[in-house]
Amino acid sequence: MIDAPAKSRGAGFYPARNPMKPGLVENLPHVRLDFGRNMIEQPASPVRTPRSEPPAVQVRDVWMLFPGRHGGRDIPVLERINVEVQSGEFVCIVGPSGCGKTTLLNIIAGFLKASRGEVLVEGQPVHGPDPRRIVIFQEGSVFPWLNVRTNVGFGLSDKSAAEREQIVQHYIHMVGLTGFESAYLRQLSGGMRQRVEIARALAANPEVLYMDEPFGALDYFTRFKMRADLIRIWQQERKTILFVTHDIDEAIQLADRVVVLGQRPSTIQLISPVELPRPRDLNSPMYLEIRDRILDALGMSLRGVVGGNGIGRSAGVGDVNIGS
Amino acid sequence: MKPIVPDDVEPSSSESSARFSYSAIELPSLVATAFLLVWDIAVRFSGSDLFPKPIEVLWGLVELARKGLLVKYVVASLFRVTWGFTLAVVVGIPFGLLLGSNRLAQTAFNPLIQGFRPISPIAWIPVAILWFGVSDAAPVFLIFLASVFPITVSTAAAVKSVQSVYLRAADNFGLTRMQLFRRVIFPASLPQIITGLRIGLGIAWLVVVAAEMIAVNSGLGYLIIDARNAGKRYDLVVAGMVLIGVIGWVLDVLMRQIERFPSVKWAYGTTHD
Amino acid sequence: MSLQRKVLLAAIGWLSTVTLLHLWLNTSAFEKQTVTSANPGERFRVGFLPVTCHLTCPVTHFINKSMSGDGTFEPMRFNGWPELKEAFLSHHLQASFILAPMAMALREQGVPIKIVYLGHRDGTTMMVHKDSDIHRIEDLRGKKIAVPNRFSNQRLIIFRAFKERGLSMNDVTLLEMPPPDMPATLKVRAVDAIISGEPFMAQSEMDGYGRVLFLTKDVWPEFISCVLAVHDDVIRDHRAEVQRLVNGIARSGKWLDKTMEHRMQAATFAGKNNYNQDPKLLEFVLSKPPDRVKYTNLSVRRKDFEEIEVVGRDAGILQGTARFEDYADPSFVTDDNGLQPYLWEATP
Repeated sequence: MIDAPAKSRGAGFYPARNPMKPGLVENLPHVRLDFGRNMIEQPASPVRTPRSEPPAVQVRDVWMLFPGRHGGRDIPVLERINVEVQSGEFVCIVGPSGCGKTTLLNIIAGFLKASRGEVLVEGQPVHGPDPRRIVIFQEGSVFPWLNVRTNVGFGLSDKSAAEREQIVQHYIHMVGLTGFESAYLRQLSGGMRQRVEIARALAANPEVLYMDEPFGALDYFTRFKMRADLIRIWQQERKTILFVTHDIDEAIQLADRVVVLGQRPSTIQLISPVELPRPRDLNSPMYLEIRDRILDALGMSLRGVVGGNGIGRSAGVGDVNIGS
Repeated sequence: MKPIVPDDVEPSSSESSARFSYSAIELPSLVATAFLLVWDIAVRFSGSDLFPKPIEVLWGLVELARKGLLVKYVVASLFRVTWGFTLAVVVGIPFGLLLGSNRLAQTAFNPLIQGFRPISPIAWIPVAILWFGVSDAAPVFLIFLASVFPITVSTAAAVKSVQSVYLRAADNFGLTRMQLFRRVIFPASLPQIITGLRIGLGIAWLVVVAAEMIAVNSGLGYLIIDARNAGKRYDLVVAGMVLIGVIGWVLDVLMRQIERFPSVKWAYGTTHD
Repeated sequence: MSLQRKVLLAAIGWLSTVTLLHLWLNTSAFEKQTVTSANPGERFRVGFLPVTCHLTCPVTHFINKSMSGDGTFEPMRFNGWPELKEAFLSHHLQASFILAPMAMALREQGVPIKIVYLGHRDGTTMMVHKDSDIHRIEDLRGKKIAVPNRFSNQRLIIFRAFKERGLSMNDVTLLEMPPPDMPATLKVRAVDAIISGEPFMAQSEMDGYGRVLFLTKDVWPEFISCVLAVHDDVIRDHRAEVQRLVNGIARSGKWLDKTMEHRMQAATFAGKNNYNQDPKLLEFVLSKPPDRVKYTNLSVRRKDFEEIEVVGRDAGILQGTARFEDYADPSFVTDDNGLQPYLWEATP
């Protein structure tokens, strides 16, 4: 199925730039995160095969210092960060609030320059932002002076009007905003705004999506739905996704691998694969085990804090007293 | 692909002011009527025969209308304000965009602008006469001067307050500097620019009296000055004031219509009026 | 339609509508060019204020235009001395009626202008409130007096009157004020006395709260307030036009002073067309008494100006660096001793 992307709309509107090897991502046509049902009998994700071509994104020994205020000492934010993201992979960076996750993402996206180290995309060093790698911002960057249609078509000014309209319709449909093409930002709810943002990013046909806590401002139910839809879209589009969050549960629900950052100055505490099949069962022992492992890496034990297994399910790292 | 209908899809409710429409007419009318009454009583009480009663002002307006001066003067003032303001917009907005987006330009020009800004247009009257004589150009110049600074300054401020996330997003989509201006910076700052235009137009209309002190033979400012020359015609002085007030209000209402376009409405609160 | 398009179209529509309406209603852009003016380049703009001192200006224009269809001279009405002076200085006016001491002071300051004719004689009154205790000039001691301008002869006449009576100028406070504001100021007694050219003084008299303290003829006979001044280069390049202007003013003055009927006619048309003042007020000024203001005997005489020079130096507005030869050009006056009998002297 994956080898014939152009024939199947579900496989992505664009022909894939890098046709991926079969087996890299399992293609489940209709994935639903089914909360509360045990689905452990589904086959697990295949383990990635090592490949010779360079990784989609490579963070090499990145350090970041922010100049101190009033001539004070520089503040170290990131230390010795090494991450590799394979093409088509979904990687989550998780860490407590203020640990430098967003800084790291800004460095990777090219908005900030690292104090030391470098970021490579397909083997080439990154010197700045690029439409092949679109960032989805935490604070929302949907343009309020444009409606949904023109927002989604924003990165398509080089296309003909007909082509643009076709692409725009496709992605509006994909994110479920059909019927809201002429709506403006202020007429949309928070979830819908993030859908516009995602559609706008996808319409530009990037190879990589960088997502900076995109669902952070949404309520619990909307967030849940957005995650399910994001997985569905990712499986259709097969983009490489680097996703930053402070929500450990979100990370485990979404990612192929979770990168755990510690308190500032941040270093990588743990890189944990999530070899759970999708849709993921949030009650499976493996899920809980991964969560415990991440919490341990952050120096905290949920059991000790909350008292009782399985309580405080969607634990945000920043909400818990850490490391004392 | 099966589209899903997100359960969070729910357009925010449109504002409703129907509840207030009743008092929106009644209340201000009541206050205005009370004001006219107080005015009338105060003039009667003081026994002054210099200051006109409201009804005398009305007759003054009727007299002006009969002579055909009302339309002439209103048109003349509108003409000067329109041109002065238009020139201020044509100069102020691009200049403000430059100042707001270019730190060097900002540093270079800011002291000059801040120095010019507090100078009343009245102080410019001699200069206007020396440069432009007694034609329509002199009041147009004064009105231009009065409104160009608020427009420039608020445009620059608007550009500077564009949220950086929009700039980063635009940068991400690979926009050139020119595209960035046209497609992001300008539309993002437009609501605040429009607010600046409203202020500018208000000031332009405010200085019309001063601007028409220069020898021109028409206009509402001229009407006031001329009525002073005419001896005891303070009814016409106040009639001129009333006209200036009412037309200024109408101009602002017209200007506000721009704020209703969806591409700028986002920046104004829903209770905005 | 997009915001930009809609707003742009609305703006262009507004701009053109207002412009066309203005051109149609307030300018002569749409009037057919008649034979009146020779060609626009030779238009001769003469500034004046709506005071009776300058009445010969609109009268000349009126006579020229209605009698001979000559529109060369275009009277331009101003509302205050500063604006008039600035327009004249910057050559937007070729000639102007202007305060005599102001013309002399400008000449001293190096502005190349010449006084070529007088505008009138007398025509200034000092008014006090009818209930005030000021009955003689001596009573002005310690009072506040409004004057039109520091360069006005109205101010100088106070200097002269005080000097003659041995009073010191330190005994009074002089306030500069636009003449149109003076009657109301006197009425509310914000000042004790007002002095300026007519008709603003007569206004307070007509309305019943003003009382004449003195007319100029009582203090400074043959008083000169305003003169006709012309730029030197205009005299050089357009001598014939200047001569025609002076002739016209002389003729207008004679016409005005010929019969009371003429004065009433002038009051009517100037009040309506040029001054926008109640003709009754102008009639009052021009008739009560008839020699309140005079429009004959307007030749430029050395003696008159040297008198002004003396008082002007006392008042600190003139340095004495410019002499009669510098600031005056009497050569346009053909009949220097045109002292004609005042015809109204025979009428009541």
